[in-house]
Amino acid sequence: MKFVDEFRDPELGRVLATQIVGTVEPGRRYKVMEVCGGHTHTIYKYGVDDLLPENVELVHGPGCPVCVIPMGRVDDAIAVAKRPGVIFTCFGDMLRVPGGKETLLDAKAQGADVRMVYSPLDALRIAREHPEREVVFLAIGFETTAPSTALTLVRAKRERLTNFSVLCNHVTILPPLRALLESPDLRLDGFIGPGHVCTVIGARPFEFVPRDYGKPVVISGFEPLDVLQSVHMVLRQVAEARCEVENQYTRVVPHDGNAAALKVLAEVFELRPHFEWRGLGFISHSALRLAPAYADFDAELRYDVPGVRVADPKACQCGEVLKGVIKPWECKVFGTACTPERPIGTCMVSSEGACAAYYNYGRFAREREVV
Amino acid sequence: MSCDDAHCVTCADEALAMRVVEVRDDGLAVCAGDDGVADVMTDLVAPVAPGETLLVHAGTAIARVA
Repeated sequence: MKFVDEFRDPELGRVLATQIVGTVEPGRRYKVMEVCGGHTHTIYKYGVDDLLPENVELVHGPGCPVCVIPMGRVDDAIAVAKRPGVIFTCFGDMLRVPGGKETLLDAKAQGADVRMVYSPLDALRIAREHPEREVVFLAIGFETTAPSTALTLVRAKRERLTNFSVLCNHVTILPPLRALLESPDLRLDGFIGPGHVCTVIGARPFEFVPRDYGKPVVISGFEPLDVLQSVHMVLRQVAEARCEVENQYTRVVPHDGNAAALKVLAEVFELRPHFEWRGLGFISHSALRLAPAYADFDAELRYDVPGVRVADPKACQCGEVLKGVIKPWECKVFGTACTPERPIGTCMVSSEGACAAYYNYGRFAREREVV
Repeated sequence: MSCDDAHCVTCADEALAMRVVEVRDDGLAVCAGDDGVADVMTDLVAPVAPGETLLVHAGTAIARVA
């Protein structure tokens, strides 16, 4: 398929890998963080890290929307899902995210009407088909996903649907990135930026990273050669003592984002004063809630949710993984007590989570190294 | 596009390239990709025409691939 096959060309990959070797200084160690879980998945699925020199390390960042949802918010979702008459809809990965005591899948097994959907539009269709039921959509995701929820709510309002609401957990990528950059235990040489978030907000909002923190950013696509080329672009900036935002993903990312998307986001959502991120704690202005004009569709206002903060399990080190402080396999319970089948932490739930991606792909390479 | 597979595109910051098959008059387009056919909201990239390739995430076209 055009725009896919050419970005998986093994010969071009080998050329890029050779160029990367020629860019780095022997004896110096480099750390580059991929912010987005989609990149983490690509890196492990295609073995991108195996093509890098030994002194170039990829660190996995907080850009998996499932992984950063705190357990208390999952409990809120389960409380709404268990209400009589509610059809609770969500994306597939959220079904298995552990709350304080159980998952949405457990609630479904106990009789709650929990349904997996591929888009908020599917949830809206269910609401139209079941006017006698209350249909709730659990909205998660970064700026890539938020426009879809916003457009769905615009449709719901236009159609005057009264049995549809949204439990909003949309988050924004820039505040946690700033929080990471403020972290004293973070040692990074640059960032691979989230390409599809940038189709919405553009590359421009990332300019604070080189300006205020002296770190290069390369906005990247998601095919393996996209990621490999982006790593090369970051390392080339370091080698040439440059520090700026570069756009590797020019085939879809405009510098100023998508004006229509930004407009509908501003109409439907407003920033929350604070939001808890799993592993990162409370970060100001880092999440969205429904604007007053859409209050009738706000499940948090419509239903009584517990809103209780739940501490992460002591054995779980998702926080350190999300900050890139430790690698997934360095967690005490990785691959033993915590597996994709029975996850303790959220990083093991979504395949975009660093632990699940590493469990599914990377551990085999590590086993080879150990042998 | 199944969440039962190893990869759930909806939950990630990932989008699929899909080709416009039919443009409807309600802001939706029927689009085809590797995983089948789906209704897609095209408000963010309108107007679209049959044959164009869109980048689709969670039922919404977030960009036109060019």
